[in-house]
Amino acid sequence: MTRIGVDIGGTFTDVVIVDDEGRLRGVKTPSTPEQPDDGVVDGLEQARDDGIDVADTEFLGHGTTVATNAVLEDDLPPTALVTTDGFRDVLEIGRQDRPDLYDLDFERPPPLVPRDHRLTVSERIGPDGNVVEPLRESEVAELADRLPDVDAVAVSTLFAFRNPVHERAIREGLREHGDDVAIALSSAVLPEFREYERTSTTALNAALKPRLDAYLGRLSDRTRATGIDEQWAVMQSHGGLMSVRTAREKPVNTVLSGPAAGVQGAQYLADEAGYEDIITMDMGGTSTDVSLVDGGEPSLSTDWEIAGHPLGVPTIDIHTIGAGGGSIAWIDAGGALRVGPRSAGADPGPAAYGRGGTQPTVTDAHVVLGRIHPEYPLGGDLSVDVDAAREAIERGIADELGQSVRDAAQGILEVARANMERALRVVSVEQGYDPRSFALVAFGGAGPLHAPRLGEELSIPTVLVPRLAGVLSGLGLLASDLEHAYVTSVVEPLTDVTADELRDWFAKLAAEGTETLAADGIDEASMRFERSLDLRYAGQSYSLNVPIEGDPSEETLAAATDRFHAEHEAHYGHANPDERVELVNVRLRAIGEIPSIDVRTSVEGTVRDAVLGERPVQFGDEKREVTVYEHGHLPSGGEFDGPAVVQAAESTTVVHPGQSVSVDDRGTLVITTGKT
Amino acid sequence: MTDDSHQEDDSYGRYERGDAYDGHETDDASDSHQTDRDHQSTDPAGDTTTGGNLATDGGEIDPVTLEVLRNAFATVAEEMSANLIRTSYSPNIKERKDASSAVFDARGRMLAQAENIPVHLGAMPHSVRTVVEAFEGAFEPGDTVIHNSPFSGGAHLPDITFVSPVFVDGKLVAYVANRAHHADVGGSLAGSVSADATSVFAEGIQIPPVKLFERGEIVDGVLDLLTENVRTPDEREGDLRAQQAANETGRQRFEALVEKHGRETVEAVADRVLDYSERRMREEVRDLADGVYEFADALDSDGAGAEDVTIRATVTIDGSSIAVDFAGSAQQVAGAVNAPIAVTTSATYYALRAVTDPDIPPNQGCYRPFSVSAPEGTVVNACKPAAVVGGNLETSQRIVDTVLGAMAEAGVRSIAAAANGSMNNVTFGSADSTLTDPYTFYETIGGGYGARPERDGVDGVHAHMTNTQNTPIEALELAYPLRVERYELRPDTGGAGEFRGGLGIRRDIRVLGHDASFSLLSDRRRNRPYGLDGGQPGATGEDRVVIDGEERHIDSKTTLELSDGDLVSVRTPGGGGFGPPEDRSLAAITRDLEDGRLTAEHVAEHYPHYDGE
Repeated sequence: MTRIGVDIGGTFTDVVIVDDEGRLRGVKTPSTPEQPDDGVVDGLEQARDDGIDVADTEFLGHGTTVATNAVLEDDLPPTALVTTDGFRDVLEIGRQDRPDLYDLDFERPPPLVPRDHRLTVSERIGPDGNVVEPLRESEVAELADRLPDVDAVAVSTLFAFRNPVHERAIREGLREHGDDVAIALSSAVLPEFREYERTSTTALNAALKPRLDAYLGRLSDRTRATGIDEQWAVMQSHGGLMSVRTAREKPVNTVLSGPAAGVQGAQYLADEAGYEDIITMDMGGTSTDVSLVDGGEPSLSTDWEIAGHPLGVPTIDIHTIGAGGGSIAWIDAGGALRVGPRSAGADPGPAAYGRGGTQPTVTDAHVVLGRIHPEYPLGGDLSVDVDAAREAIERGIADELGQSVRDAAQGILEVARANMERALRVVSVEQGYDPRSFALVAFGGAGPLHAPRLGEELSIPTVLVPRLAGVLSGLGLLASDLEHAYVTSVVEPLTDVTADELRDWFAKLAAEGTETLAADGIDEASMRFERSLDLRYAGQSYSLNVPIEGDPSEETLAAATDRFHAEHEAHYGHANPDERVELVNVRLRAIGEIPSIDVRTSVEGTVRDAVLGERPVQFGDEKREVTVYEHGHLPSGGEFDGPAVVQAAESTTVVHPGQSVSVDDRGTLVITTGKT
Repeated sequence: MTDDSHQEDDSYGRYERGDAYDGHETDDASDSHQTDRDHQSTDPAGDTTTGGNLATDGGEIDPVTLEVLRNAFATVAEEMSANLIRTSYSPNIKERKDASSAVFDARGRMLAQAENIPVHLGAMPHSVRTVVEAFEGAFEPGDTVIHNSPFSGGAHLPDITFVSPVFVDGKLVAYVANRAHHADVGGSLAGSVSADATSVFAEGIQIPPVKLFERGEIVDGVLDLLTENVRTPDEREGDLRAQQAANETGRQRFEALVEKHGRETVEAVADRVLDYSERRMREEVRDLADGVYEFADALDSDGAGAEDVTIRATVTIDGSSIAVDFAGSAQQVAGAVNAPIAVTTSATYYALRAVTDPDIPPNQGCYRPFSVSAPEGTVVNACKPAAVVGGNLETSQRIVDTVLGAMAEAGVRSIAAAANGSMNNVTFGSADSTLTDPYTFYETIGGGYGARPERDGVDGVHAHMTNTQNTPIEALELAYPLRVERYELRPDTGGAGEFRGGLGIRRDIRVLGHDASFSLLSDRRRNRPYGLDGGQPGATGEDRVVIDGEERHIDSKTTLELSDGDLVSVRTPGGGGFGPPEDRSLAAITRDLEDGRLTAEHVAEHYPHYDGE
C-alpha cells in the first residue's frame, strides 16, 4: 500500500510517495494556478507512468494554496454579512488602529464585505447568553428579500458564541428562501469572544466556501477517475489534517496549509533525530519563514493576520521577514550597509544567475566567498556566473565603501545574518523562550547556507539540515494526524467553575470531535482527545494554554491552576498565586491518528564515498581548502568536522571551522556548533 | 531662540532665556559642526554623499558593525517592549499597548526606541535626563529609578517611567528605560483622566525621581506609598513589576552586547548610530523648501471656562534644520489641557517624522536637526501646578494639526488635512456598593482621518498621537456592567473635497444596574478639522446623554454621575477634505451614496455637480 502527499507550491506541485518499505519517491510538476487540480492530476499520472501503483493508495494528504492565493489576491466572490443592529461597521473599523504610525498616506485593506452588503437585524444576546432582545420572525423573513446578489453570506451577531440561537434562526431564514448561497455562522466557525476577529474569520470562511467547495469537489472526482478510491485529507493552518468533507465547511482553516505542512515535515525529521524543541527556518529567494516547535508541538497563534484580515482560528505561528537569497544589498542615505527587503526574485535573480541581474544579492556574496560551487550550484539548469557576482558587489557595495570585494561580501552576509537573528529572536526570546535550548532546523534553498553560523551566533548548540528538504512539505502531509480544534469561551473566575461544569463542556466538545472524526473515517480506537484551558489572571487580556491531564475533576483543576502559575513564571518572569485566575476558553483537540511513515536512508559506505572534491572557501580573514560532500551520498552514522561544504540538489550547507557533523539514519545532518 | 554656539555635549538639552526648550540635544539652526570631546563627528553639513564617510572616518567602525549593532540596539528596545506588553496586568498596557521602551548610552543619549505611541517620542529622553541628573554618581547595579512628574519630562501622571543603569565590570555603560500608562494613579476621578481637574494635585500622585529598586531589591516603602495612593493597588503592583522585568530584560541584553563586542566598540558605534540618523534626517530636511511658515489652530475649550485656546506654530526651515517655535500660543489655562514641554516636543517630532522618511531609525540623532521652543507658562509649555492630563491626550493632537498645517504651507508632498483631532477619551468608573468589584474602564475612540492629496481620509480610525486599539465590545461587556448599543460610522461627517475626509464614529454605551461616574475628555466639538487645498473642514463631534429618559447635549469636557439605564452617545469628528469638492469624481460620490457613507442631502449641498447618475 502506498501513501501519497501532494503539496501545491507557487511554482511546483510536489507529489511524494512512500511505500510500505519506507521508500520515498518524489515527482515534481509545474503548478497550474488557474486550475490547481490539473497540476495534482498531472503529478499523479506522472507517478503512475513512473511505475508507481497509485491505485494501491491507502492515504492521500494535501497541502493547498487555493485559499491562500484567493485571499492574498483579493479574488473572493461577492459576500454579504448579517450582524446585530448598530454594529454594521465592526468589520470595517476593526480595532481602530492604523498599520503604520508615521505614514500619513496609509490605507486599510478593503473590508471583506463592502458596506452596502452589510445588513443588520434587531436582536441582542447578553454576555451571559440570555436573550436581551429577541429576534423577530418577521425580520428574518424580510432579510432574504434584502439580501444583495451574493455567492456567500457570513452571519456574525454579538455574543453568538454564548448562544447561537439567533444565528441559527437567520441561517434557517436564508435557507428557506431557497438560495444556493454558502452560509457561515460565527458560532460554528469560531465560537470565541472578540467580535471583530470572529466576524472577520467568519466572513473569510464564507467567502472561501464557494471556491474551495468547487476545487475540492473537482479534485475528489478526478482522483477517483485515476483509480484512487481514497478520500483526501487536507492540511490545516495548525498542522493537523482534516477530511475533504470538513474542509469544504471550514476552508478558512486552510489559509496557511502549505507552510504548515513544511513545519510539520521539519518537525517530523527533527523528532526522528531526537529533537523535540526546534526552531524552523525556511529561507527561500525572497523571504525567510521562522517558527518554533516546543516539546513536539508547533507554537500556535490565534491572532494571525492575512492581507490585513485577522484570522482567529489556530494557526502555526510563522514569522516572515524579507530576507532571502535574492535579497539586494544596498547603501542607504545614511551610509549604512543594508540587505533587503527588496529582492531580485527569480527573474532576473542574483547577478550570479547570469540572467541580467546587476544588483548585488546575498547569493552573490556566497558565490564570491566560494560557498556556492560554480559547477554544482543552484539546482535545475542554472550555472553560476562568478564574475557577474563579483562585479555586482564591487560596483554596488565595495567601491562605495572603499572595501575589498571579499570584505563587502562578508559584510553582506553579516547584515543578512543580523536580520535573520532578529527574526529568530521574535519567535523565541520575545515569546519567553531561550533559543539556546532549541535546535535550529534549516531548509529552503538558502537556509542551510546561513543556519550553522546563525546557530553559533545565537548559542544554539545544534543545527539540523534535512536531506529531504526538497520534499519537506510533502513529508509533513504524511507525518501528520487528522486533527480538529474545538473551543468554548467561558471568561469566568476559575474558582466559580466546578468540575462538573468542566466535564460537561469537554463532553460536548468531545462529542462534536467524535462525530467529525467518525465522519472522516477514523475508528474509535484511533481517536485521541487533548484537553486544555486558556487561563489568565483577572484583568489580563492574554491567556496561557494549560493542558488538563485525564478526566476533569477538582484535582485536575487544581493541578491546572498550579501549572498556570508555573508557566506564567516561566514565560513572563513572575507569577502571583494569590491573584484570581480566570478561565477564558475551554479547548479540545480531537485527534485521529494516522499510522506513521518511516523513511530511512538506504545509503551505505563511508563519508569518503560522498566526497565530491575540495575547494577554497573564505571564513573571516582566512581562506580554507574544504572538503565538499554530496548530501545524498552521506551514509547513516557518518561523521566529519568543519570546515566543510555539503552539496544537495537544491541547497548548500556551509559547516564552519570548529563545528562537527554527524548524519542520522534519515540522512539529516546533525551539526554541533560548539556552543552550549 | 537658538544660539550660534557650538554644543559641547549633546546629551543634554537646555532651557534658554527661561522660555525656550531646545529639543534635548539639537544642533543649531545653522549647520554647525559638533565639537564633541569624545569623538570626531562627521560633518552634518558637508556630507551630502555620505557613502564613503563611514568606511573611512573613525577607522574602526565599519558599516557592517554599525548596521549589526544598530539592529541590536533596536532589538533590545523591542524585546523590552514585547516583554512589558506581554507581562503587564492591565488591558491598558497589554491590549492597548500604551507603553514604550528605549536604550540610552552612558551619557543619557537615546540610542533606540520601540514606541507604540508617538507621545512618548520626545518625552522619554527628557524623563531619562531628569533621572540621570538627579542620581548621577548614586546609581548602583540593580537600581531602578521611577518618575512621572510632568514638569520635568513626564507627559501626564499616569505615564510612569522606569530608568535602570546598566553596569559592566563596575562601570556604568548605558541606561534602559520604559514608560507605561497606568490605569489609575489616584486623583479626583477613577482612571486619573479627569476632565474637570484644575490643578495637577487633582490628577493623582506625583512621583519625583525615586529609587523603586535598590541593588535589585524592591524598596517596600516606596511601593507602599504608591499603592496606597491608587484605586487598584494589585493591578498597579503587577504593572510596576512588569515594567521592572522589562528593564531587567534590557539590562541583560545590553550587558551581553557589551561582553560580545567590547565596551569601546559599543560606545563608538553609539556615536555613529546617532550621527547616522542625524545625517539621514538632514538629507530629508534639505529637500524641503527653506522659509518661515506659520499656522494657528485652537482647542475648543479647557473645560473650565476658557474657549478657543490658541496654538500657534512658526516653523523655520533653514538648510538641513527645522526650528519650531510656539510663541503666540495661549497662556496656560485652568482646565486640564495644558501640555508640558515634553508633550509639545513629542507632538512636534511626530509631525516632522510623518513628513520625512519614516525609515530613519528613531534615536536622539534623528531629532538633532529639530529644535522646539515655547514660552514658559503657555498651554504648550505649562508650569506647575497646571492640570495636564489632557495636554497629552488632546492638546498634543492640536499641536500636530498646527505643525502639519505649517508644513502644508511649506508645500511638503506627504501631507494630510486635519484628522478628527481628538482622542475622545471616555472613562466609566464605579465604587457602587451593589457591585462585587469596583471598576474603572477607560478607552479612546477614533474618528475620521484627514484626506490626502491622492486619497480619501480613512473612516473610523485613530490618528497621529495615538494608535491604541479599541476594547472589543464583548470583552467590555464580559468585564463591566455596561452595554454597548451602537458602534458605527457617522455618515456625512467627512469634510467635502476632491478627496473627502474620513467619517467619525458613534459609540453608545448604557449603564446597567448601578451608579457610575462618567467622564468625557474630547475636542473638535466646535472648531472643525481643517481641509486643505480647497477641501472643506470635517464635521465636529457632538455627544449626548440620556439620563432618566431625557436626551441632552453634553460639552466636550464633561464629568457626570449616571445611574441604571442611562446612556452615553459619543460621536466623534470627521476628517478634513482635500481639494475642491467640485473635483470629486462622480463614481466616488455614487459609491459613497450606495454605501450609505454620504446621504443625498449632503451630496446635494456639498457636491452640486453630482446630477444623480
